[in-house]
Amino acid sequence: MEKLILIGGEAGMGSALTSHLIGKIFCSLGYYVFNYKDYPSLIRGGHNFNVLKISNKKIFSHGSKYDIILALDQKTIDLHKKDLKKNGLIFGVKETEPIVQKLQGPKILANDVLIGTLFKRFGVDLKILLHSAEKEFGKKSNLIAKAIKEGYKIGKKKENLKKSKSKYFISGNEGIAVGSLAAGLDIYLAYPMTPATPVLHFLAKRQLENNILVFQPENEIATINSALGASFSGARVMIGTSGGGFALMTEALSLSGMAELPLVIYLSQRPAPSTGVPTYTAQGDLKFALNAGQGEFPRIVVAPGDAQESIIRTQEAFYLSAKYRMPAIILGDKHLGESNYTFDQLSKSPLKAVSYPLDRANSYEHDKAGFTTEDAKEVVKGHERRLRKEKIIAREVKKLNPIRVYGKGRNLIISHGSTKGAILDALPGLKNFRFLQISYLKPFPKEEVAREIKRSKKVILVENSATGALSGVITEETGLIIKDKVLKYDARPFTPDILINQLKKYD
Amino acid sequence: MTKDFSTKETITWCPGCPNFKILKAFKAAVAELGNRNIAIVSGVGCHAKIYDYINLKGFYGIHGRVLPVCLGIKMGNPKMTVVGFGGDGDTYNEGISHFIHNYRYNADMTMLVHNNQVFSLTTGQATATTEKGFIDGSTPLGLKERPLNPLIMALESGASFVARGYALDVPHLKDLIKQAILHKGFSFIDILQPCIIFHNVVPYFQKNVYKLKNHKQEDFSAALLKARQWDYCFDKDKKVPIGIFYQKTSPAFESYWPQLKKPWHTVLRKPNWQKIIGEFK
Ligand SMILES: Cc1ncc(C[n+]2csc(CCOP(=O)(O)OP(=O)(O)O)c2C)c(N)n1
Repeated sequence: MEKLILIGGEAGMGSALTSHLIGKIFCSLGYYVFNYKDYPSLIRGGHNFNVLKISNKKIFSHGSKYDIILALDQKTIDLHKKDLKKNGLIFGVKETEPIVQKLQGPKILANDVLIGTLFKRFGVDLKILLHSAEKEFGKKSNLIAKAIKEGYKIGKKKENLKKSKSKYFISGNEGIAVGSLAAGLDIYLAYPMTPATPVLHFLAKRQLENNILVFQPENEIATINSALGASFSGARVMIGTSGGGFALMTEALSLSGMAELPLVIYLSQRPAPSTGVPTYTAQGDLKFALNAGQGEFPRIVVAPGDAQESIIRTQEAFYLSAKYRMPAIILGDKHLGESNYTFDQLSKSPLKAVSYPLDRANSYEHDKAGFTTEDAKEVVKGHERRLRKEKIIAREVKKLNPIRVYGKGRNLIISHGSTKGAILDALPGLKNFRFLQISYLKPFPKEEVAREIKRSKKVILVENSATGALSGVITEETGLIIKDKVLKYDARPFTPDILINQLKKYD
Repeated sequence: MTKDFSTKETITWCPGCPNFKILKAFKAAVAELGNRNIAIVSGVGCHAKIYDYINLKGFYGIHGRVLPVCLGIKMGNPKMTVVGFGGDGDTYNEGISHFIHNYRYNADMTMLVHNNQVFSLTTGQATATTEKGFIDGSTPLGLKERPLNPLIMALESGASFVARGYALDVPHLKDLIKQAILHKGFSFIDILQPCIIFHNVVPYFQKNVYKLKNHKQEDFSAALLKARQWDYCFDKDKKVPIGIFYQKTSPAFESYWPQLKKPWHTVLRKPNWQKIIGEFK
């Protein structure tokens, strides 16, 4: 079974919440769901939509042809009808409006009518829907329950869903947040910036029950400098931002390297330059993450590929940053952060961050005790003291699965971060291809990557960017050159069909 | 740790620099308070070298960011006494946004600004508190702008402790620093520290500086009036008041957050994984 459902409407009409609830219900029935969120940068009006892929097999991406369209307004139908599969269905205003009028409730109830109608089609018990809605919206959902029931009444049962063990439904941003809690987070600081903001909201809401401090300083420069002050005091700190905010933080990023103060930075990319396309996705900041900050100092850059990896990699970032006393950047993007993934289990890493307070931290070159120096020999010692850590940490990262290879073909797809999902789902449709996922960009797993490249006939880079920065990084680290690139820079993520189309010509 | 908090580092301020006096006043204040659980934070500039000369916990930050680091140290360890040292360029130019916002936060910490009305370490350019007409390498035609008045700015931003000191009056400055550290909330002292190389106004200050007397520290209007008495310019002989301009009790940052009880590194953590992920099922 595999179904693609699109839910759309104006911002504020409820498509995001509804798609999340539909996803959660399918997960509770044992299905795998991927939920893609597409919304412009506005608060009311416009056109938002979500795409849910639902399957009885593991899936990690959405698609571009739909079995069902749930429309909260006419615009949704006008825009997406062309992508409806043959024999596809549309439920829209025609169905929902009479019921909403009959119930004399707010327009938002159309969502619940659609939920009732949709699940009736799949033969799901009404009780399950009512229970899930109550869990999501609370007890006050009397009208909601009525609307679901009415929607259920007008629906027609066409299929019978087989149930299995319920699953976890979690976004990449939620993965980052719970990973930080598992790592022993004490303080989270952030200035709002899409697409990192959901981490701020998630942790802020749960700060008292988890005994952590979540605070929003006056700007990103204050954010990172306060974070370093707290790190100096011995707290485990994380900060979160996107490219523009990270740009403001770069001077103090270098301070973290110089003063050897642990700090975890969640950098959630969006299409740039400058303000770019705020609510969409891209991987254009790879080289920025690797090179930001004046001077030469070691850092960690790790790129999770899904929500489960977000948990584990965040814990690793805390662990490595504290142990080797350097900044660790978790490189994500909108697609990873705001999409929901499904897992049978959610696991955590056994690694924990050990923190302690310092006596001295110095932004100037300094001796071992932390006092300022301009002495030539001491300057050399300072560099060597910091850069030596690069070699030691590289050995430890080798044990943390810095790369993963999926599939068996003679041709190699190379990528990093959120493209993992679409590539994995494209693999079955691509004969003779395997996929190399690079999770650690710094320290870079040189030998492992070089070995895979040398073993392959064709090597193709896949990146959600206009220039394919990873190919340059690979050349710099291994001396090997990658000529073939499949790039996407329309601010939208890859889907498996697009990848299959573009990749098969290389075989 | 030596008794007077000295270090072995060579002091590289110019001979006769009033920064020596600020160092002396601070060390005396700390000795008299008998509090050793102090972290000092400095920016970048001549003033900031003080980090190397005081044997307490220290954070030598970057230019303009003293206050966010102070606040962070406080967040990380609410039990720590935190004192920031900034320059006028540091605090009123590069870091002015933090200067305003930290009055809103009112964390229990102290900011001492070595105000020499000039960027000294970069060889004498005008800052936000340099007088109109000042001529230097970057303003050879004379500075066109009027200075901002940091005391008025602090008062209007909701400060709970505002004072001005004079580096060449060490006993008075020492007293101010003690009271600032003892104040529960964010305390600020603008310290007149005439740079004897690039902005030598010592004779003016010697003639015109006077100590506030019979001044009601809790009277906001009186504080504003006194703050307006001198506008950081030197065009005519104006009296320059020093002392505590304003002080009020108001809840400190730490009191708003029940989580801020003890240093985080002493908090034992055993995250309950099943509970954390429960909401995703
Ligand atoms: C971001 C940044 N910009 C510029 C500088 C160069 N710089 C070093 S010290 C200084 C000015 C210091 O002036 P002030 O804060 O008044 O301190 P003073 O030297 O007068 O004590 C500047 C601009 C720097 N270190 N960092």
